[in-house]
Amino acid sequence: MTLEKFAMTTDEPTWFTQKRQASFELIDKLPLPKMQRFNFSSWQLAPSTEAIIKTNVPTICDDYILMDIFDAMTAYPEMIQKYFMNKVIKSDENKLTAYHTAYMNQGIFLYVPENTVVQKPIEIELKQNSNQPFVSHILIVAGENSKFSFIQRTRTEGDAKSVANCVVEVMAMPNSEVRYAAVDEMGENVTSYLSRRAYVDQNAYVDWSIGLMNSGDTVADFDTDLFGEGAHSEIKVVDITSGQQQEGVNTRVTNYGKHSIGNINQRGVIMDRSRLIFNGIGHIIKGASGANAEQQNRVMMMSSKAHGDANPILLIDENDVLAGHAASVGQVDQRQLYYLMSRGIDKKTAQRMVIRGFLGDVLVSIPSKAIREELVQTIERKLADGQTIATNS
Amino acid sequence: MAELLIKELHVEVTDEEKKTSKEILKGVNLEMKTGEIHAIMGPNGTGKSTLSQTIMGQKNYHVTHGDILLDGQSILDMPVDERARKGLFLAMQYPAEIQGVTNAEFLRAAINARRPENNKISVMDFIKELDKNLELLDMSEAMTERYLNEGFSGGEKKRNEILQLLMIKPSFALLDEIDSGLDIDALKVVSKGVNSMRGDNFGALIITHYQRLLNYIKPDVVHIMMDGRIVKTGDAQLAQKLEDEGYAGLRDELGLDVNLIDD
Repeated sequence: MTLEKFAMTTDEPTWFTQKRQASFELIDKLPLPKMQRFNFSSWQLAPSTEAIIKTNVPTICDDYILMDIFDAMTAYPEMIQKYFMNKVIKSDENKLTAYHTAYMNQGIFLYVPENTVVQKPIEIELKQNSNQPFVSHILIVAGENSKFSFIQRTRTEGDAKSVANCVVEVMAMPNSEVRYAAVDEMGENVTSYLSRRAYVDQNAYVDWSIGLMNSGDTVADFDTDLFGEGAHSEIKVVDITSGQQQEGVNTRVTNYGKHSIGNINQRGVIMDRSRLIFNGIGHIIKGASGANAEQQNRVMMMSSKAHGDANPILLIDENDVLAGHAASVGQVDQRQLYYLMSRGIDKKTAQRMVIRGFLGDVLVSIPSKAIREELVQTIERKLADGQTIATNS
Repeated sequence: MAELLIKELHVEVTDEEKKTSKEILKGVNLEMKTGEIHAIMGPNGTGKSTLSQTIMGQKNYHVTHGDILLDGQSILDMPVDERARKGLFLAMQYPAEIQGVTNAEFLRAAINARRPENNKISVMDFIKELDKNLELLDMSEAMTERYLNEGFSGGEKKRNEILQLLMIKPSFALLDEIDSGLDIDALKVVSKGVNSMRGDNFGALIITHYQRLLNYIKPDVVHIMMDGRIVKTGDAQLAQKLEDEGYAGLRDELGLDVNLIDD
């Protein structure tokens, strides 16, 4: 289907179709996003989409706006025009951002107005239908002094070979506080590109807790731009790869603002013949005096046939800063394993518990108990599946 | 009734870094039955912990000669978890900490590991048993929702070991310096826990430097270990005698040529 025909299946405004067109022209001209030590140039990541899918939004709430992104284009055109692939992430950054804008077919918009505190986490579940590409967008705008948690789950339905291109943009206005948690569970036959980024303004705080539990090949870009003075972000990622899976994860924090703080904490478990590359990138821009950037990237190898790497990359253009990194590639802690087994727990169960201990640092900091428990369940399942593969091969 | 038999046990420890091994146990013989509490006393570096770790199956300890039999069956080829399910329990001196796994979840997994797939312990039964034991050990319920040993004080860790003992109910418990680092109140609580297990279906091997613990947990048999061997066996009186005369006194009385580390 051509892009024109596709756009006609939606009731989107003309300005949006024009934005699609302009981006479409760029797809073949722009390079793929850069990722150190991970080559995915042969992956098919930009097929055309067939139809848009409206998202059912749980409840209408007085305090904030949560709606399907296509509905939002009509209801809040200025806001979408101002922020959609225009401020936090730009359409013309690379081939996949251009593709995203051209073919976006599913998504939601969340706006929490200034001075609004939402107590209960706002939860969204997106389902990817494997019969067509899943080009989803989540646009979150946090007004000044707003405070809320957002939880996103993404799952695949069906097991056809397909592509997912998922973008999340978080615009955190001054003094806002956003806690974003995600559990990604794309199916085995889904090749994914995930891009999540926050624009963090003065004294705003963005907390990311990401459980990357995809079963298929994945490239992920988790970015935080600390533009405002005193902007702060904590980024936590847990990741498990198994089977023949290939995953490259770039987690980047850029300190532009004075006294901005950005901490990265990543934990990966690599099973079977899978491959996982963690790049932690801390970039402090000249002028960001008093900035603080710390990162930890740790991976655990569960099989001699697995491949993994944890690369800290620090780019520092300012003198008056604090920055540090720790990275490790290790194996299951034998002392912990022995302790658990000495209580009669079989080796596989004990291994899973030790792995949870390894992921624990990141797990315990997830804001919602429910999502924490759900993630633990998912981790258990993924590890158990991985162990079965290991036994049978 | 169960029986743990240790025959002419020789054990070497390998130092992974230096690629050297050293013989620690040089022929240990010990026989214990459920219903009995044994204590092993001895100076530092004499092989007491090595004995308990070897019985449990810690893989840095290699049996070069002799055997360990549980109810007549050699356990040397069994992995650690199987030994545990056969009824052995080691309360460790330095328990591991595991973040992300709650104490309660760990306890349930340990109990269920001993039960068939279709007969797991019910949540109600588990909580009932847990509450009873928490009360006995003067532990708060909040402890069970904390991550396994993570951030526990020395005393909390020891109590937690005993809580596991009470929940798992093994045939034989090896208690490795369960008294170290405990103040007198904690010592009483820990002893109360162990004493509550006393009965025909439970035996314990208590490893300690000091006679103090044995005031609270009265042993039926006391063994003195020096330089990788049990050099004397007696009743509770022996521990008292040792407290009065010291290890050097006993060594000289037995005419042993052994270096005591603290000499």
